[in-house]
Order: sequence, then structure tokens, then C-alpha cells
Amino acid sequence: MRVARVQAWLGERVPIAPLIEALRHKRVPQHRYSVWYYFGGITLFLFVVQVVTGGLLLLYYRPSAGEAYESVQFLMTRVQFGWLVRSIHAWSANLMVASAFGHLFSVLFLHGYRRPREVTWVSGAFLLFLVLAFGFTGYLLPWNQLSFFATSVGTDMAGTIPWIGHFIVRFLRGGDTVTGATLTRLFGVHVAILPAIATALVCLHLFLVQQHGMSVPPSIEEESRRSERPVATVPFFPDFALRDLFAWTVALAVLAALAAFYPWELGLKADPFAAAPAGIRPEWYFLWEFQTLKYVPASAFGINGELLVVGALGIGAALLLALPFLVPDRPSTRRALAWIAAAALAYMILLTALALRGSGGPIP
Amino acid sequence: MMALRAVHAAAVLAIAASWASAQTTEEAASRAYRDDVHAAAGLRCAACHQESRSTYAIARTAVAPLCAKCHSDAAYMKAFDPQVRVDPYAQYLTSTHGRQMAKGETRVATCSDCHGAHGVRKVADSRSPVAPVSVALTCERCHADPARMGAFGKEATPFKDWSESVHAAALLERGDLSAPTCSTCHGSHGAAPPGVTEVANVCAHCHVREAELFRASPKKAIFEQIGQAECLACHGSHRIEQPADAWAGLTEPAVCAACHDSTTRGADTIVRIRNGLDRLAAAIAGGEAVLARAERAGMLVDDGRAASREAREHQIHARVLVHAFALQPFQDMTDQGMRAARQSQAAGERALHDLQVRRRGLLAATILIVGFLVTLWFKIRRLGPRGDQL
Amino acid sequence: MSAITGTAPASGEPERRTFLNWLLGSWATGVAASIFYPILRYLIPPDIPEAATRSVDAGKASTLLPNSGRVVAFGSAPAIVVRTATGDYRAFSAVCTHLQCTVQYRPDLQHIWCACHNGHYDLSGRNIAGPPPRPLEQYDVNLRDDEIVVSKRA
Repeated sequence: MRVARVQAWLGERVPIAPLIEALRHKRVPQHRYSVWYYFGGITLFLFVVQVVTGGLLLLYYRPSAGEAYESVQFLMTRVQFGWLVRSIHAWSANLMVASAFGHLFSVLFLHGYRRPREVTWVSGAFLLFLVLAFGFTGYLLPWNQLSFFATSVGTDMAGTIPWIGHFIVRFLRGGDTVTGATLTRLFGVHVAILPAIATALVCLHLFLVQQHGMSVPPSIEEESRRSERPVATVPFFPDFALRDLFAWTVALAVLAALAAFYPWELGLKADPFAAAPAGIRPEWYFLWEFQTLKYVPASAFGINGELLVVGALGIGAALLLALPFLVPDRPSTRRALAWIAAAALAYMILLTALALRGSGGPIP
Repeated sequence: MMALRAVHAAAVLAIAASWASAQTTEEAASRAYRDDVHAAAGLRCAACHQESRSTYAIARTAVAPLCAKCHSDAAYMKAFDPQVRVDPYAQYLTSTHGRQMAKGETRVATCSDCHGAHGVRKVADSRSPVAPVSVALTCERCHADPARMGAFGKEATPFKDWSESVHAAALLERGDLSAPTCSTCHGSHGAAPPGVTEVANVCAHCHVREAELFRASPKKAIFEQIGQAECLACHGSHRIEQPADAWAGLTEPAVCAACHDSTTRGADTIVRIRNGLDRLAAAIAGGEAVLARAERAGMLVDDGRAASREAREHQIHARVLVHAFALQPFQDMTDQGMRAARQSQAAGERALHDLQVRRRGLLAATILIVGFLVTLWFKIRRLGPRGDQL
Repeated sequence: MSAITGTAPASGEPERRTFLNWLLGSWATGVAASIFYPILRYLIPPDIPEAATRSVDAGKASTLLPNSGRVVAFGSAPAIVVRTATGDYRAFSAVCTHLQCTVQYRPDLQHIWCACHNGHYDLSGRNIAGPPPRPLEQYDVNLRDDEIVVSKRA
């Protein structure tokens, strides 16, 4: 048969048969928490959407202070479906942050970071930071009033770090203030440097997930040990893959609806000499940090309040990265960690809600 | 905006305080004088005050001639500022203030009342009480005082009226230094009320098109005949308000109604002008409402906005053309405006239509996706629970 | 889709399974079409090749006589191109700095004039008389053969 010959020819030159064979035998645990397994897949799907729509946007976007805003405006008004591509890119970015956080907390609550998946966790944590960095760098690119001032305030925070703060601010902005140089710099980071790192990390992350398989939560393991029945599983292929596809298609439908009913606005062109407009605020996923800044006094224990927050965030990020190495795998510590994670989540949700309600005055 | 006003009120108060103190202590006078433009030019107290006198006080009637000794001397003044005018005293003598003062009436203003005595600054200095934004507040000190003005049989209302005018809003709120204040129309040193026939010349200084049109219209001869002050007849004097389209017409609040009713000549023209204005305003508002709806829905309607701006400009010109008191040039302009307004409305409706197309496209895509999802669901269900055990 | 759905038919109802696969494949084709259709349309270059961000074509130079002016659209705001009596080309924003009316060239005065409140600007865009508080923004003019190209200064 001709098909068989082509397959054989291809198989000899592109030997993926063992991989397919491995996937055929791969099985995914099936239990009451299985639904949380889909968050990773949705995040991956949205990442692919970002790569595709981002590539499309690059066809018309011009990364300079004089042209960025106009080129985005042109893209949204003159290019067919330009509004759709940009809106999907913007909405998908937001959904990706949400699903990445969902993925993080689900892994945390289901204790999926345990041996031997420590490196998977660390790569995932790095990916979360990268997603936030994508959001931060991409926010400025349309060069509108809101993003200009949000970036100004956002980069300013780094200035509170002792000794190297000033250098970091200059490094982020490509100068002392936010200018066209900042735009070009963040553009390069957003479309070249971050995607390169992210792709490598995603590959590592996926490879590790494939190697280790899905983690089974300790409670399920315990139940199976007690009932002396092994944990139920389904084949990855096609059962789990089809369910993944289902979740992705739902995500696609949500994206399309959001883009059509709430097209991403462009706002006014950034004017570095204008006064900061009322109600500037960063993207929602940075809101809780800014809200924290509002509540911390200007100076506490003789330390600059802003530095305190920046320091706490830095320590928090470091703890998050090193988490699998810090938590001994015992039921008591697991329980404690779950409570800490719940408290952190509650704090983030509460402060985001407060920021959205506009309490605590304007952003400092 | 009120803050700007407060700043200049404060500047004037500071000057007023220096006047008061100048009359009381020599020390305060010499302190204020340190910041005086004359001190900078190297003049000392003795330049004005005679040492031999028992009191330094200068009689009010003597102030202007004293200042004029230098300020009317072109050769002398050139040494300090070759551009400076040397006719203020000559002008002052022609002003109501100067003529009264010459008669010995000392309650009227002289140089130091407006410029200050020991803290005189250049007019270009924003701290000067006669700087453009402050000059009205300086005039107000006397002209808003009913007791003072009543003695001369004059009203004390001009300042209050002016401060409610579009001119005051332009000057004090928008900070437009070219907007007219008291001295722009009345003159400064030669301050006097413009006469009935001159007032249009004063207004025409800025409102040149309106004046040209008015002068070419039949209205000019009629107004001259009945002794009516040209611009003032409709717009008033100090309290110049933003004109409204409703000012044209035959019933209240139309200004035409003061002389015209449906039986007089020109009634038809008045009605048609009013209709033209109203239709254009409605068309622009209609177009902008559609554009705003499209924008709220997230559409960009730059073309529509440009057309709307064009329509507004035609509206401005049409409103100016009302001063021709004739139908013709006016109607062409409103027609152009109507065309632009319709364009803006069409652009907005196009955008809203696009939005509908987008939503229909989304609906089609959603049907496909839902169909796919439902089928996929069945497919997954049919796979069923398989191979429970590892 | 066959890669996903093409598992060997197990026992029973092979016909319904085939139908289900066929249906799934059709829907998937539709979904794929609704993804690729906008992308293909997006890739087609628009009628106007680029946004008028920095420069705009202001018509033929041969039709702009000395001592005359022409107002052209520059993005969403108007610009004025003036050919002076001596034959020089000048370009400015045509938005009056007083109340945003569109200015015009007055051949009799040989300078730029705003009809709304008698604002005058000289041929360097400076406000020389009347209410305008600021000069007009000046643009660069270049000739590309017979085309006048007006561009914003960086």
C-alpha cells in the first residue's frame, strides 16, 4: 500500500514511532481532582494563541514612540480583522495569566511539587514569572496614556532597591525616564527574548511532565492504599487528549466572545508631558501588589515602605521557586502549606477586590 | 481655574497693602520700593519726594504731572527703554479720570491707584496689578463700589457683569491673555466709555468677520437711523454671553423679537435662519450620538469624527453669517454643514453595522464551536470508563 | 482529525462510530475555517498601505500656484500647505490654536488667517495678531517629483 510505504519512508527519517508508542501507553490518573489537570493544558493552548496572534500583530506593528500608537490604530481600523487579532491577543494574555495562576494554586493544593517533580515546579514557577513579564512588557507597546503611566509607575518601584535600584530602573527603561527607547527595549524583550526563554522552559516543563506523568494527590494515594485498590486511570490517548481538546475549544469560544463583545480599547496616545490621567492602574494581576503599596506606610522600622513591599515580593518569589526543597513531605507540613497557600490566595483576591473598588486612594 | 483668580487677587491685595502702608510708614515704603522698577533704574526717593517738605505726601492732583515729568519726556525715557510709550499722560488728560482730576475731583483714579506707588512693576510682570489677568480686579476696586460710583451717577455693575461674560471665562479660566478685559475696550490711560458709534470698531478688533458682514448689511443703516449701538443691541456690553441659536427667532428668548414679530418685514428670513441653525445643530448632535454609540461599543470612527469636526466648523461659520442678516450666504454654509453632519452620521452607522456583522460572524463561529463541542462530548462519552486499573 | 479519532474500531456499532467521526471531522473543519478565514483576511494588505503617522501626500505641486494655499487631511486633523509669493513651500497644522477652527491662506494679506476670530499667523506659523495664543505647529515639506509630501517633525 502506498500509505504504508510513505509511513515507512517517513518513519525511517523521522523516527517518532517510539514517541507515539509511549503516548499510547501513557495513562492519566482519574479521580475527583482530575479536573485541575486541565489548567496546564489550557495555559499551553493560550500560549500558542499568543504566539500565533503575536506573530500576526508584528506584521503591522511599528515599535517607535512616533508610530506605535498610530500603527495599532491603523491595525484596528484599516486592517481586516485587525481588531479581532489584537483583541484576542490582549484577552488571551489575561486569560493566560489567570489560568497560569489557577495551575499554580491547583498544583500547590494537590501537592504536585513533591519528589521527583521539584524541577517541574521550578520551571513552572519561572514560567509564571515570564507570563507576568510578558504582560508587563506588552502593556506599554500600544503607547497609550494608561500604559505609559502604568509603566512609569511600575518601573519606578525597582528604584527602591538599595544600591542597584537606580541601575535597574535605567536598565528597564533604557534611560532615566520612560521614552521611545523604553518602548523599543520592551518590544525587543516582549517579542524576542521572553518568547525564546519561554519556549525553552515550556519544552523542558512538558518533557518533565511526560516523563513523570501526572502527580496523584497524597489524599488519593492514601485512599487507594487503604482500600488496596490502585488509582483509576484512563489512557492519555485518546481519552484524555480529547478532553483536553474539549477544554481548549471552550477556551477558544470564550476568547472569541470576549473579543467580539469587549474589543480591547486603544485609549489616547501617550503624551509624556501631560499630567498623569486620573484612574491609572496596572493590569489586574498587578493590582494586589499596588494595593499593598497603598496600605504600607511611607516608612516602617526605619525602612522605606516601598522597599519593604518590593523586598517582601522578592522574598515571596524566591520562596515560591524553592518551595519543593523547603517543604518536607509530611502530612502536617502539607496541611500547613495548604493553609498558607489559601491565605495567600485570599489576600490576593481581597486586595484585588479592594483595588477594583478604588479604596485606599490613587496609586502612589 | 478659581485658583488662578485667587493668585491674582492675592497679588493685587499685596499691592493694595503696600499702598496703605506707604501712607503710614516710611519704612514700609522703602521696603516696597526695593522691588520697584524705578529702583532698578537707579532712582532714589528724592526723585519724587522733596527732602525739604515737612511731609513726604504728594497731593493726588500732583501725582500724574509728577510721573509725566519723566514719562512724557521721550529723550529721557529712551535711555531706559527705547520702546516705551511716552503718551500715557496725554492720554490720561483725555480720559474721564484725567478730566475729572483736572477739575479738582480727587476721588478719581490717578497713576499710582493702578500701578502702585512704591512697588511699581512692568505690565508684563504678572505680579503687576495692571497685568492682563489682574487689570479687571484693579478697576473693580473702585468701579464695583456702589457708594463711590453712585456719587458720579454711575453703575457699579460692570465688573460683576464682565466676570460672568465669555471674555472673563476665556481670560481667567482658559488663561487666554488675548481675551478682552476692561482696558481692551475702554483703553487704559485714556479710559472712557466708547460711544454708540465707536463700539462696533472696538468689537471688530477681534470679531472682524461679524463686523464686516454687519457693515455690509441693511441693518447698519437702520441701526444708525434709530440710534441703536450696533453690537450691543443684541449682545449687551459687559456681560457678553455665549450666543445661542435660540437668539434668532421671533419669540423669547430671541433677541430679534425685541423689534420683530411675524408681521414685520424679514420675519420669513428670521424663521428660516433659525430653522437652518436648529436643523444643523440637530444633525450634528444626531451624528455625534451615533458616533459616541459606536465608540462605546469599541469601534474607532476617525472618519466620522473628522466629518463631525467639519460640520462643527461650518456651524461656526453659519453662526457668523447670521450677521449678514440675509438668507443667502448663510444657507449655502448650513447646507455644507448638513452634508458633513450626514457623513458623520453615516460613518457612525457604518461602524454600528460592522459591529452587527462582527456579532453575526461570532455567532456563526460559535455555532460551529458548539457543534464541535457537543459531538466531541458524545465521542468522549462513547469511549466510556476504560481500563480502570493501571 | 483522523489522528485523534482514528483508533481501531472496537466491538459493536462500527457504523455509528464512523458517523460520529465523520461528524466530528466536519465540525472541526468548520472550526478550523472560522479560525483561518480571519487570519487570511488579516494577511491581505489593506487598501491604504500605512497609517498617515509621519507624512501625507498633499497633492500635485503644479496645481499649487505661488501665493496660494491648500488644506489637506493629515490623519484626522487638517494641515495647510502654502506656496509663498516667492515660490517657497511651507506647511503647518491647519488647526487654529485659539478655538481649533481650520485656518486658511489669504493671498491679499500674504499670510495665514483664521476666519473665526480674525487670528493672523505669518508664514513661519507665528501668531502675529488676534486671539491665537500659540504659533501653528510647523511641518516639513518635500517634493517627490510633482508630489508635495508633508511630514511631521520628529
